[in-house]
Amino acid sequence: MVTIGIDIGSISAKAAAIAKDKLLGSKVILTGYNARQAGMAVFEGLLKELAIDRDAVGRIVATGYGRNSVDFADQAVTEITCHAAGAHFQDPEVRAVIDIGGQDSKAIALGPNGRVTDFAMNDKCAAGTGRFLEVMARALEVDLDAFGEMSLQADEPAKISSLCTVFAESEVISLIAKGARRTNIIAGIHASIGARVVAMANRLKLQAPVMMTGGVAHNIGVVKALEDKLGLPVQVSAHAQVNGAIGAARLAAGG
Amino acid sequence: MEAMQPFHDIAADPKAYARAWKERTGGKVIGTLCSYAPEELILAAGALGFRIVGGSGAISKADVHLQAYSCSLVRGALEDALDNQLDFLDGAVFPHTCDSIQRLSDIWRMNAKTGFHLDVVLPVKLNTASARDYMTAVMAKARSELGGMLGQTIADDDIRQAIDTYNRIRAKMETLYTLRRDCPGVIAGGDVHAITRAAMVMDRHDFLKGLSKVVDGVSAAAKAFSGPDPKRIFLSGGVCNLPDIYGPIEASGGAVVGDDLCTGSRQMLGAIDDQDDLIEAIGRRYMERAVCPAKHAGIRTRGEELVRRARAAKAQGVIFLYLKFCDPHAFDYPYLKDMLTAEGIPTLLVELEEQTASDGQFQTRCEAFMEML
Repeated sequence: MVTIGIDIGSISAKAAAIAKDKLLGSKVILTGYNARQAGMAVFEGLLKELAIDRDAVGRIVATGYGRNSVDFADQAVTEITCHAAGAHFQDPEVRAVIDIGGQDSKAIALGPNGRVTDFAMNDKCAAGTGRFLEVMARALEVDLDAFGEMSLQADEPAKISSLCTVFAESEVISLIAKGARRTNIIAGIHASIGARVVAMANRLKLQAPVMMTGGVAHNIGVVKALEDKLGLPVQVSAHAQVNGAIGAARLAAGG
Repeated sequence: MEAMQPFHDIAADPKAYARAWKERTGGKVIGTLCSYAPEELILAAGALGFRIVGGSGAISKADVHLQAYSCSLVRGALEDALDNQLDFLDGAVFPHTCDSIQRLSDIWRMNAKTGFHLDVVLPVKLNTASARDYMTAVMAKARSELGGMLGQTIADDDIRQAIDTYNRIRAKMETLYTLRRDCPGVIAGGDVHAITRAAMVMDRHDFLKGLSKVVDGVSAAAKAFSGPDPKRIFLSGGVCNLPDIYGPIEASGGAVVGDDLCTGSRQMLGAIDDQDDLIEAIGRRYMERAVCPAKHAGIRTRGEELVRRARAAKAQGVIFLYLKFCDPHAFDYPYLKDMLTAEGIPTLLVELEEQTASDGQFQTRCEAFMEML
């Protein structure tokens, strides 16, 4: 029997399918303004891509901020529990998850069974989230996808002292005006996110191995900044953006 | 429960109650800024103690005087005062507690029109012999100054009666807390919140009568109560005037079985005994009751007390409810969390602002915490 996880995030809606402890596939679409429709669309789209019949689907678990909008799901579980389950499914040795999504960031400590033992969230402030990076990409006129690689070319990372997205943006604009190199500014931005997220994570006394999930995990510069501030190696989930949906599908299977 | 309605009415609009009380009785209403204000003396003087917690709406006037990093209690209280929403007050009592309340006292004195102004400069250390003597002297001074400001002498007999009333109230509250601990769910968190909120505003004799009825009702209900088995949650923190926080906790399958909130057990529990010296006895309760993080009673005292209380309540988890920017609580948080972790008690930290009602973010944290327990 196939189980499905659906993760309705603030920016994107994700779905993942699991059968017999194997990930069959996943799909990502934009959430838009209607979380329910997005949930249905990503679910149906995934089934179509994987050529799975609706009748072959067993339990469905919804997660993410829009979890209660997915009225065809059997259960709603928070993204904290799902991210832990997803990371555990991918690597049972993982003892900590750092998830940076579009509008929030979280740190989760896991027990050996994949259960959450502690967590902290930042969801009231854009600093330390994907949105922060989007704002900076716009100010720098750089494609966000290029941020990671560009930051690795920095020779003298800029110092971004402000923790507030709006103030940090004006700092970045000042740095541009002073002629600072983009690569150095981007490296400074990543260090700022790293400091912000690690300050939250350190309250949990995280243990290795640490897995990073969420869309921002694709940015190698942020990963390096996290490793630097944490003093621990950080492995990037092979399915970073759909980790929550994978966890939900895993929980739907009773795992 | 019908007996609950007056408490909910007062909790919904405490200012309207105080205005009506004043009109009805012609008595004086005295604002207090924290749970260290010696309410017993206010009652002994025949006045109505009115705890000011702010939180009425958006802040605009107060931020002329305060920075955005001041807590919402301080900003909300000043906003209410400057917005003339506290015009029924005849005076305000500021106990010496955190930095923000101390500085608010000066700003208030210069800008608010709420009658007389009394600072009660309490000791900071609470566990030394000299502090005990000092506390007695402070309480004696408060007695004479408060009496002077109200144009009367506060008599021993009136103090004795006020102590008696407060002891009865606190004994009833102890019973209510015990019922909630032993039979979680028998009274809703929102009901306990309304009771504690009304306790800080309502005519204390009327409050005692109403509370007695509720406690009788809850006692009877507890005998036959059967409900789902909730996750047992202990709330730790400062001022909380957000009844909405109980909904998400209960909707996530939790029930509050104890607290050390400033707007909870810290204010509501602890008897005044050994009344040879009335003033010393009042002071002693403030020395010995649960300690505010703005005070000091030993380097790990608050942590030991929290562990003891959480254990006694058989709590499965502790939710720290802090006002954002409340630095005394934030300073203590890391070691309190460590001590609870060492005892195997999981914790969740939630920072709130009085002007912001609870929302999906709080709901998600509560649900995730319950899933974790």
